[in-house]
Amino acid sequence: MLLSKAKVGQTFSIKNVTGKEKVRKFLFTLGCSEGEEITLISKLAGNYIVNIKDGRYAIDEKMAKSIEV
Amino acid sequence: MRIALAGNPNSGKTTLFNAITGKTEVVGNWPGVTIAKKEADLKKKYKVNQTDVRIVDLPGTYSISPFTGEEVITRDFILEENPDVIINIVDGANLSRSLFFTTQLLELGIPVVVALNKNDIVSKRGDVVDVDALSKELNCKIIPTTATSEQGLSNLINEVVKAGKSNTTQSKTNFEGKNDKSSDTARQKFVNEIIKKCQVKKTDSAKITFSDKIDRIVAHKWLGIPIFFVIMWGVFTFSIEGLGGYLSEYFNETVFGEILPNAANNFFDGLGISPLLKDLIVEGAIGGVGAVIGFLPLIMVLFFCLSLLEDSGYMARVALIMDRYFKKIGLSGKSIIPMIVGSGCAIPGVMATRTIEDINERRMTTILTPFVPCGAKLPIIALFTAVFFPNNAWVGPSMYVIAIAMIIIGGLLLKRIFKWENASSFIMELPEYKMPSFKYAFSQMMNKAKAFIYKASTIILVFNTLVWFLQAYSWGLNPVEDQSLSILASIGTVISPILIPLGFLGWQLAAAAITGFIAKENVVATFAVLLAAASEEALHLPGGVLTQFFTPVTAFAYLAFNLFTPPCFAAIGAMNSELGSKKWLMRALAFQFSVGYILAMLINQIGTIIVYGETAVGFIPAIIITLLTAVYLVITIKKRGSMPTEVGVEA
Repeated sequence: MLLSKAKVGQTFSIKNVTGKEKVRKFLFTLGCSEGEEITLISKLAGNYIVNIKDGRYAIDEKMAKSIEV
Repeated sequence: MRIALAGNPNSGKTTLFNAITGKTEVVGNWPGVTIAKKEADLKKKYKVNQTDVRIVDLPGTYSISPFTGEEVITRDFILEENPDVIINIVDGANLSRSLFFTTQLLELGIPVVVALNKNDIVSKRGDVVDVDALSKELNCKIIPTTATSEQGLSNLINEVVKAGKSNTTQSKTNFEGKNDKSSDTARQKFVNEIIKKCQVKKTDSAKITFSDKIDRIVAHKWLGIPIFFVIMWGVFTFSIEGLGGYLSEYFNETVFGEILPNAANNFFDGLGISPLLKDLIVEGAIGGVGAVIGFLPLIMVLFFCLSLLEDSGYMARVALIMDRYFKKIGLSGKSIIPMIVGSGCAIPGVMATRTIEDINERRMTTILTPFVPCGAKLPIIALFTAVFFPNNAWVGPSMYVIAIAMIIIGGLLLKRIFKWENASSFIMELPEYKMPSFKYAFSQMMNKAKAFIYKASTIILVFNTLVWFLQAYSWGLNPVEDQSLSILASIGTVISPILIPLGFLGWQLAAAAITGFIAKENVVATFAVLLAAASEEALHLPGGVLTQFFTPVTAFAYLAFNLFTPPCFAAIGAMNSELGSKKWLMRALAFQFSVGYILAMLINQIGTIIVYGETAVGFIPAIIITLLTAVYLVITIKKRGSMPTEVGVEA
């Protein structure tokens, strides 16, 4: 399932990250990559608030659609 | 010995830098505050054996391969300038992410000392990091620090100097795989293993925190924007109308209006110096510079409020709520940060655009940021509202509303003129909120005050004296009785015809606007000098001497003209370096000038018809200019429409 379809409050293991190479690489350095955990904290103002490792990030819908969990 | 500070964004590099050098560089609670390299000498207090140590603060980055513009600066410095030691500042509250970059730094062949920062937050959470084990795993020194309260810093510097002297580098951990991807994966695995061994976490970071609860309100779908506007409105009215305005009034009326000029007049009369020299000093220097410095409290209050806002962590949230709207006009949510910073000063505002990844969004933000009225434009706003709209408190803040409208319209136009498509995605780290430091805000305020006084007593004083000279002398260098025979008048007369459709009649207005490009405060100072002869009264009194030149409508237009035409030369310089090409700079300036010119013209022409029921001077040229602009826009946009979309290409 895509992260954009996920329910708030759930933690997932990341299966795959797609999209532009540069963005994928950047997400990787944050710890957003295959096998890592991601938690959807809330959906705010059209963005997805996620927890990766110990950090909170706001990502837009396009990016949420590129993360498969 | 040269020491570089490197680490993830918002890990506290600049806080540590300020603590060990005694500098007061801007810190803030969002990723991407530091956008340029900063250097300073180590404070005496931290010196070890009289070794001279130079500290270099670098923009934060998550990895050695850069994602945004300011990260390139960090990579280039570390790889090309060979610092003697790198202090890797690791956010203890986000250890597992930070170590990825640490492992990359360890491979460079430069001694690395890790500062395990935010130790206070870590212990408050009850998490435990086994520093010895971690040090062994990474094969480098690790010193726990709390930069905000300067704990562990002398210990850190001791180790760093030792490492720099012995110049022994840690043995390399090697993740060179067949390609980038497999080496990165190996690195990530290595880090995860270390974390398992060395860190015991009490708290689950995925749990809903207090910050998350605040976010659900301030970044709410419907509430987010109104809350943002209320906060910004509060900041600006407090600065312009509230405390800042109140203090400025006192400064203007009493200190620079009466006390100083009277004292100076008496003093020079007593000395018996030539009246011309006395005029130069009293009318030129004190009158002009005083008219500007009188607005100092306003700027201090503004910077104090902005500092608190930046320190709280709210800025990242504003980017988040604006993203959805800004995308529609070709910008990124991150574009709001340069704009808020730009409300203090356009130069750091424009520089902050380098945190935006997409080149089109970055260019547009660079072009649009100067539309936000900066601190230097505040004196103009304050002067004109005091003289022409003393009973309408909305006029000052309305300039910010117009700025927002201009940014939206400007964005939509630029997007169509150059046919840009948003190809970028938005990602922003949301740091935990923190109580803003009043002490820090105060020191920032004093810093800005010092810079403002410095500017007023150098560049503004010089130009003011020049303006005084130009309005007092003719081309033959003879003093003139009548200002209209002066050098300045003849220069102003050349330019003033193009300002007629805007309702600016008289060479004085053209002259003041021109001096504004040197520094926007000059507009106020120039009026003070030019009108000193016409009236004994202070410049800014309601219904004062300025009313000889403006109706309220043309005054409003003049405000808009000065606010929305290109910024001062220093800011244009910043635009030049961010845009990176002369062609784009010319486009940007042409665009800004057109927007300011046409806006002022529309305000004057339409305003005059509505308020006074008659057409303003230059009505026919105004219609011609409007039609020509409309035709140009339609043709350009049509032409672009048939062309393929440009995505992120260089000019």
